[in-house]
Amino acid sequence: MPTPASPSASASSSHRRASSDLMVRIGSADSEIKLRALRELKNQIIGNRTKKLFFLKLGAVPAVSCALAEAQAQAQADLLVQSAAALGSFACGFDAGVRAVLDSGAFANLVALLSFPDNKSFKTVFCALVSVPSDKNAVVVDAGARSLRMIYQSKRAPKYDFLQEKNMEFLLSLLNSENETVTGLGASIIIHSCETVVEQKALCHAGVLKKLTSLLEGSPSQKDASLESLATIIKKNPEAASKFVSESRRALSSVIDLSKDRNPRTRLLACMCLIVIRNTSPCHLQDIGIKTKLVYLLLELLDDPGQVGEEASFAFSSLLAQKEDLQKLAFEANAIDKLHNHLQKHLLQPRRYQGILLALAELCSKLESCRSRFLFLEVLKLVTDALTHEVADVRTAACICLRSVSRSIKNLSAGRFMKEMIVIPLVQLLHDPSTSVQVAALGAVSNIVVDFTTAKSTFLQCGGLKLLVQLSKSMDPILRLNALWGLRNLMFLADNTCKEGIFLELTAPSLSSLICDPEPFVQEQALALVRNLVDGCLESIEYVFAEDGIILDAIGRQLQSTSKAEIGIQGMYVLSNIASGNEFHKEAVMHQLLLQVNNGTQAFILKFLQSNDSQLRTAAIWTIINLTFPSSPGASSRVVKLRNAGIVSQIKTMVNDPCVDVKLRVRTALGQFMTIGDGST
Amino acid sequence: MPVRVVESSAPSQVSGANSGKTSPPACTLLSVGQAFSGTQNVSSLQKDEAWRVNVRIQGCDLEHGYLCGTMEALNVPMADTPVVTFWEGEIVDTINYTFFTGKWEATPEDDKKHWDKFPSFSPFKSQVEIDGGKNVDLSNYPYIFMRWKEQYFVNVGTDCGLTIAGFYYVCFSCSDGSISGFYYDPNSSPFQKLELKSTNDGRSGFSFSSYELQ
Repeated sequence: MPTPASPSASASSSHRRASSDLMVRIGSADSEIKLRALRELKNQIIGNRTKKLFFLKLGAVPAVSCALAEAQAQAQADLLVQSAAALGSFACGFDAGVRAVLDSGAFANLVALLSFPDNKSFKTVFCALVSVPSDKNAVVVDAGARSLRMIYQSKRAPKYDFLQEKNMEFLLSLLNSENETVTGLGASIIIHSCETVVEQKALCHAGVLKKLTSLLEGSPSQKDASLESLATIIKKNPEAASKFVSESRRALSSVIDLSKDRNPRTRLLACMCLIVIRNTSPCHLQDIGIKTKLVYLLLELLDDPGQVGEEASFAFSSLLAQKEDLQKLAFEANAIDKLHNHLQKHLLQPRRYQGILLALAELCSKLESCRSRFLFLEVLKLVTDALTHEVADVRTAACICLRSVSRSIKNLSAGRFMKEMIVIPLVQLLHDPSTSVQVAALGAVSNIVVDFTTAKSTFLQCGGLKLLVQLSKSMDPILRLNALWGLRNLMFLADNTCKEGIFLELTAPSLSSLICDPEPFVQEQALALVRNLVDGCLESIEYVFAEDGIILDAIGRQLQSTSKAEIGIQGMYVLSNIASGNEFHKEAVMHQLLLQVNNGTQAFILKFLQSNDSQLRTAAIWTIINLTFPSSPGASSRVVKLRNAGIVSQIKTMVNDPCVDVKLRVRTALGQFMTIGDGST
Repeated sequence: MPVRVVESSAPSQVSGANSGKTSPPACTLLSVGQAFSGTQNVSSLQKDEAWRVNVRIQGCDLEHGYLCGTMEALNVPMADTPVVTFWEGEIVDTINYTFFTGKWEATPEDDKKHWDKFPSFSPFKSQVEIDGGKNVDLSNYPYIFMRWKEQYFVNVGTDCGLTIAGFYYVCFSCSDGSISGFYYDPNSSPFQKLELKSTNDGRSGFSFSSYELQ
């Protein structure tokens, strides 16, 4: 028996009916009905993501696209405006909408609108744009430009090829238009599509910088679009930066003036443009006044509750990145306190959260004063909380922040970071599904495990060692590198129990294959790890002789084949540390050094003693000092062997080495040769 | 190394990093992980006394003229265990720091009196008289002059009856890794001498470890 429908079911079905009816009306042959339907659709979906998705599923985008094409064929201005506006609304801030508009084939039709009414072909567009269209035509052009602008604000928009001459002409025609929306579209195309230096140069040569500079004096939206486009063209392109600064005296001062604009977004974009100029070409904007101003402006913009506030923290990070002077200015402007206040707010949006953490990371990357303030304010607790945030970018940012602050040796020495509340969540992140989180977590771990107290065991007890060893065997070389980096720092001044634990977990075969890893930076860390393994008490040298000495053999092979000084340095310090042991250890090192001599090839020790890298020469000479240490019984015979291999005579040529450290070590070695009496010194 | 409290006084604050321009040449014997041992003479008018001391370098940033580490005093009469302190050092490199301390209650006169105690300082004496040695060339000199200032107690509380109010004038020999120093604290016995030698954990030779912060 039929029952009465519930009110909500009834409402829902009537909504569906109305929507279907709307779709039918969009396809109507009556242009008045079609026009009203398009306007109704546009009004329903504006700013309403749910409605956009709903109509998208109903197939509204192809229907509107069809309406646009028909209106174009019949040059019906009102229909063109409404259908273009509806498509623009679908595309606005909604990637699925952009994709649907592109899939419907409406893109070319929208481009053609820019030359309305002369829309016969794409090529004629720029001709039409330079003339002033009538009011009605202008509205059509504006609607087309607005829609295209929405599309170009999405990453899904097609990349525009500036390198084609006709495309560059078209872009210039857009920028030269008197229609504000059309110039805005030109800027959006640049922001979206200019990615390579070649493209930046092409735009510069076409005179785009000059045009954009003139738009800095235009309407508010033109100013914003111009600032963002300028930053895109100048970024990491010193030639473009110099051209912009030198082309007109007003150019740079216009941007500086806009950093005082009433509109917060314009202020932010002006700051971002100035930061790009400074980062690209450090000779500009060195004045302390402008630097201080940028710091204060961005700190103030952080208070904006919307997107400007979110983006301000990222701009602040790029202002501070690698620049100690700016970090100092930011510290003096109480930046740590201000960022701390923001971090304390509840329900932070993930992007804002990430931005604040990254800004704190930059601030604490170099200056101990910043780290002290950070720790004094107990920001560490808030950052530790962020390690378990549901969004991967926030977790990554928290790790990066922790990495920066844990560069404080003063606090590492006090065991301030090797605490369960930090180490446990950090170790958890070592098996995070996101590789970028894992890499960032390894960065923080690498610093924290340096810990100079006896608390390295805390890390082992939390299961950190097992995970580090697992990651050192990863297929991803970045993970292998960072995991080994952590193990190398964990091994630094570790006690015997800790060393044994690491070695048993890692095993000799794994260690020897890491020494021979295809990636040189992995080889270097593996050798640095072994260097720390065989430091400390005498017995620890024995580790390299495990499993028939596969580790020592791997080191010898690597030193013979490498052309990289960094690998030579770490490898030679391993041999030097082994050579500071007993007679057996020293003879094993001698064997490695003279293996090639016996094979008739040049010994790597000679190559290293002649290296241009003073650190490598130092490491090599220390090995010789240890091998000929006067109190060791076999020193005399080793000196003879070294002399026969040409090593003693090489060292004699180094008495006036330009590096003080090498020179002093050479003197020590020669003194030892003399004490031992090799008969030739 | 801590000394007995004579009068309570708060440790001086060390400023943050300084803007470095160039790096003086490195010395492997003064690199991270290196250990030294020796004595500090703490004799007073009442009695002759020397405490055994171990030092370990934990951080070194030549660009900023910065060095740090721990100092362990072994036979401190009023302590049950060895007393470990963390210290930070200023390397006299004429870029970040000169021979004049300019803080920690040390006048240029105090500076000159202490530096003068090191024979290796004599070539710079006249220049330091003039301007603190701002323009002397130390880049190829086989000695490194430093000031070490203890910052906190690592393993005992501040109520341990010891003070770290003063600081050390230090001279390091790059040739053999030996260290001489003089403790300066207006409230302690003057010119307490620190003498340390590079140690090698019972090895026949020198061993070097390393870490690298990310």
